Amino acid sequence: MADIIKCPTCGSKNAADLEFCQFCQTRLQPLTGPLKGLDRAIMPGQNPTVKDTGQLEPILPEWLREARSSAKKNSEDDVLQAAQKSIGSPTVSSGGDLLAGLRSHAQDNEEEDTPDWLTSITGETPKSKKAQTESPEVRWVELGAKNDFAQEDRSAEKPSWMTGPASSTSQPNNKDELTDWFQDAAKGSNAQETNQPFNADTPNWLHSMAVENDALSDIKPLQDNSSVAASDTPDWLRSMTVEDAKQNDDPFINNMALPTYGDFDAGKAPSAEQVPDWLKGHESETPVAASSVDLDWMNDLQTGEGEQPMQGETAPWLKADVPADEAQTPAWLTDMPTSTLPESEENKTLADPEQTDDTFGDVPNWLKAAAPQSSIFEELPAEQKVEALKMPSSDSPDWLNTFNSNEASESQKSPAFINDAQTSVNSDALFTDMPDWLSTMDNSSSSTTPKAVNNAENLAPSDLPTWVQAMRPMDSGISQPSQSSYSTDRTLESRGALAGLQGVLPARPGFAPTGKPKAYSIKLQASEEQQAQADLLERILAAETAPVPMTSFSLLSSSRGLRWLIAIVLFSNLSIVLLLRTQIFPMPNSFPIPPAVEGSLRVAQSIPNGAPVLVAFEFESARVGEMEAAAAPLFDQMLLLRRPRLVFISTRETGAILTERFISEALAGYNYQSGVDYLNLGFLPGGPMGIYAFAQAPQAIAEFAFARNSDANNLFDISLPPAWILEPWKSTTSLSQFAAFIIVTDNADSARVWIEQTTSTRGTTPVVVISSAQAAPMIQPYYASQQIRGLVSGLSGAALLEQNNAGRPGTARAYWDAYNMGIVFAVLLILVGGLWNLVLGLRDRAALRDAN
Amino acid sequence: MVISPDLIAGVFSFLFTLLIFSYLIGDNPLFRIAVYVFVGVSSGYIAAVVWWQVILPRLIYPLLSGSTSMPQKGLMLFPLIGSLLIFMKLSPRLAGIGRIAMAFLVGIVAALTIAGALGGTLLPQTVGTIDAFDFNASSARGIGFFEALSSAAIILSGTVFTLTYFHFGAHPKEDGSMHRLGLIEVMAWIGRIFIGITLGAVFAGVYAAALTALIERFMSLINFITDFFGTFQ
Repeated sequence: MADIIKCPTCGSKNAADLEFCQFCQTRLQPLTGPLKGLDRAIMPGQNPTVKDTGQLEPILPEWLREARSSAKKNSEDDVLQAAQKSIGSPTVSSGGDLLAGLRSHAQDNEEEDTPDWLTSITGETPKSKKAQTESPEVRWVELGAKNDFAQEDRSAEKPSWMTGPASSTSQPNNKDELTDWFQDAAKGSNAQETNQPFNADTPNWLHSMAVENDALSDIKPLQDNSSVAASDTPDWLRSMTVEDAKQNDDPFINNMALPTYGDFDAGKAPSAEQVPDWLKGHESETPVAASSVDLDWMNDLQTGEGEQPMQGETAPWLKADVPADEAQTPAWLTDMPTSTLPESEENKTLADPEQTDDTFGDVPNWLKAAAPQSSIFEELPAEQKVEALKMPSSDSPDWLNTFNSNEASESQKSPAFINDAQTSVNSDALFTDMPDWLSTMDNSSSSTTPKAVNNAENLAPSDLPTWVQAMRPMDSGISQPSQSSYSTDRTLESRGALAGLQGVLPARPGFAPTGKPKAYSIKLQASEEQQAQADLLERILAAETAPVPMTSFSLLSSSRGLRWLIAIVLFSNLSIVLLLRTQIFPMPNSFPIPPAVEGSLRVAQSIPNGAPVLVAFEFESARVGEMEAAAAPLFDQMLLLRRPRLVFISTRETGAILTERFISEALAGYNYQSGVDYLNLGFLPGGPMGIYAFAQAPQAIAEFAFARNSDANNLFDISLPPAWILEPWKSTTSLSQFAAFIIVTDNADSARVWIEQTTSTRGTTPVVVISSAQAAPMIQPYYASQQIRGLVSGLSGAALLEQNNAGRPGTARAYWDAYNMGIVFAVLLILVGGLWNLVLGLRDRAALRDAN
Repeated sequence: MVISPDLIAGVFSFLFTLLIFSYLIGDNPLFRIAVYVFVGVSSGYIAAVVWWQVILPRLIYPLLSGSTSMPQKGLMLFPLIGSLLIFMKLSPRLAGIGRIAMAFLVGIVAALTIAGALGGTLLPQTVGTIDAFDFNASSARGIGFFEALSSAAIILSGTVFTLTYFHFGAHPKEDGSMHRLGLIEVMAWIGRIFIGITLGAVFAGVYAAALTALIERFMSLINFITDFFGTFQ
């Protein structure tokens, strides 16, 4: 096992020749060789060699010598007073313990309280530890009498995390979770002292901290007895303790004012020399707060001090006599003494404790401890603080003294503190190498509260970040606020990106008081022409919206009596004429036949015998009397002369049944049989589309016939036998193959549609229109344009046909007197009514004339 | 006693004729009864006609018949779908679907109407008006020269003046009022005479048609009474 070493970091075993740990890459071999000769480190169990340190007196800086002299004077007085007041209790020295172990003060009676590291400097053999004889109730850091602290003990009020470690010093041992090497150390301490076990509920890390306290409290006895083997001690811990006693005269390290291990040794009461001045002052004010638990972190720093230094394993950079290589020492540590604030700045800082706290508000605690301003954290009076800052403390941690080994060698040539000018220069140099955040901290330490910065005076736009510049109010076309408005607006931004800036944003963003706004005239500048047009527009709009009175004219209101009178007269006349079957009015024999009616006769007379004739029944049921009377003479003559094969079709739903009525009543004498003599194709759907399609392909569109049952009395027997199965209809495949096309309609539009949609397909087929009297004027142009060959209009046209047909069938003659009577009545009525109105008008005019 | 259908039809015809004539004394329930019965009967008859004469023979029979070829059946799906779409108009929520078939119908009817009007009315009427001065044709039809000339002149003037009446183009005057040209005003005034005559002729025709219908009804009543009682024979 001699060729295997254990890694101090991870504990894994490595070969002795390895420089770095193969598991955690921790350096195993020191960078420099072991100390030799007089510089050789003290081995565990070896008594330090007594050296005459009085020869170091001349090399001490002047301030240190002055401090030592004053401390000597004060300590002599205090010792005399303490000797008179208390005997056997730890005395508290009000004087400083600065380098108290020097030979020049070797005759002091406080030698037994001198820490080991200081003892090693003085060369005296350390005496038996007081801790072995004192009660375990003694607090670690106590000032004053024991009973005083007992009365003010507030450990019961402390939280468990604070009381745990404090009580661990008096509780039984319970270190099952400690590391091996530390357990060994604890065992050694248990063998020497009475320790109380740990509370089982205490966290592990607190366990370890408490154990360390116990171990540290036993380090001194262990050193005296030389009973603890240091082989299991980690190397880094050993290196931390090596040569610390030799490095405590560094002025910078002394200025760090960190307590040494001896101050917190639980085995003995701290002596007056071991307690630094700043700590004394602090504990005098707040003795309770200075418990051992609160200073556990300091004990961690002292872990290695109590143990026997391992000369052979001491890190070279920790050796005081060996100049540390600057490359190995961190630069910021090398320059740390220069970071001491100038005296003027210190006074300012001390004058305002809150500012001091805020200055290090962002600094971690460990850095606060390491910083030279660490002394200002204590609640010391201003004068004492200033003095403490000026005077380096002899209680500075030894391990920190090693950091400044270079200056320790140079301290013989130059004072510990340099003047302000040099400090400022070195401070600048320090901050150039320091991290940015630390530099910022240093800059911010000058003031705790954000200093108001005037935007216009102190802060140049180029110094602002771009995004801040983008947020700044921009110039606009609007009148800029006066400079006075900016100067008066001293609003200090307390948050956000502009925190600390003053007057950056105006009170009203973007706008400043511009005074009274300009008065603009609202009068419209318009010329006379424009005004005239505007007036015209207004009049037009007014005329559009203004209500227009309805021109009331007297309606010819038909009184019920008059209406009844006319009805009675008309009905009586017609009834009488019809009942009497009078023939008062002669048939129109004497008048020449109109060309339209004559054309119809020609068509009827010109069709071949038995030729197919297409007949479109396009009238309503209400017009059946007129239409049958108008159509009967023509069909009578045609059937009588040619007996054509009739094909009836209609675009009206009632056309089929009206056709059957016409055949069965008006043409009853001809005994036309459905499907043989005539085809009732019935209803043709689609209106104009149906007519157009039928004109293109009659058999395809109208396949079935509306055949009435042979039983003429059965009006509800409707069947749809296939049409076009017999000649001549079978060969009639187009509209042009019909001998004639007769349209029986009471509506001019029906006639027009049939004429229009069949124009291209009917060819030379003559078209005859038998229309109602009301539709004749609208159909007459088609005859004038020769689109139809004949036009029979109403009862008058029927009468003309009957006169040329030997009075057959006589329907027109039957209606003719009544019809003429009604016409005469209407004419008389209109004339009488007109004359009556004329008379009334003349009377009114005469009355008006008389009135005028 | 066997009641012939003609007698029943005559009785109903007689009664409903009297009910309609009751309107001379004003709107009354009898008149309304006659109107409602007429509307109901007409609707039912129209529905029956459409079912028996259109849907069955023109749509259902061809689709179910084996003699109809598949292409023809495929073509008949279009009217079937179109009719179903039109049925959607019964629901206000689905009425929009029926617009497809309606749009098809409107488009087809409009196209046919315009084409028919151009080829069957406008151009032939224009040509007929021009040909009115074709005296040879008139003489061939047996119309004398003066008659043809006068007839053609009246037709031409009536057509031109009537069309001029419907010309509403005007020009502003100095006082801001809008007036047609003097010549146009004169021609329009003459056109109004022709329009008046035409409307008079239409009114006469309407009166003559109504009078003929009234006479037929009276004759029907007289015949019914005569046939029923046989008194006036």
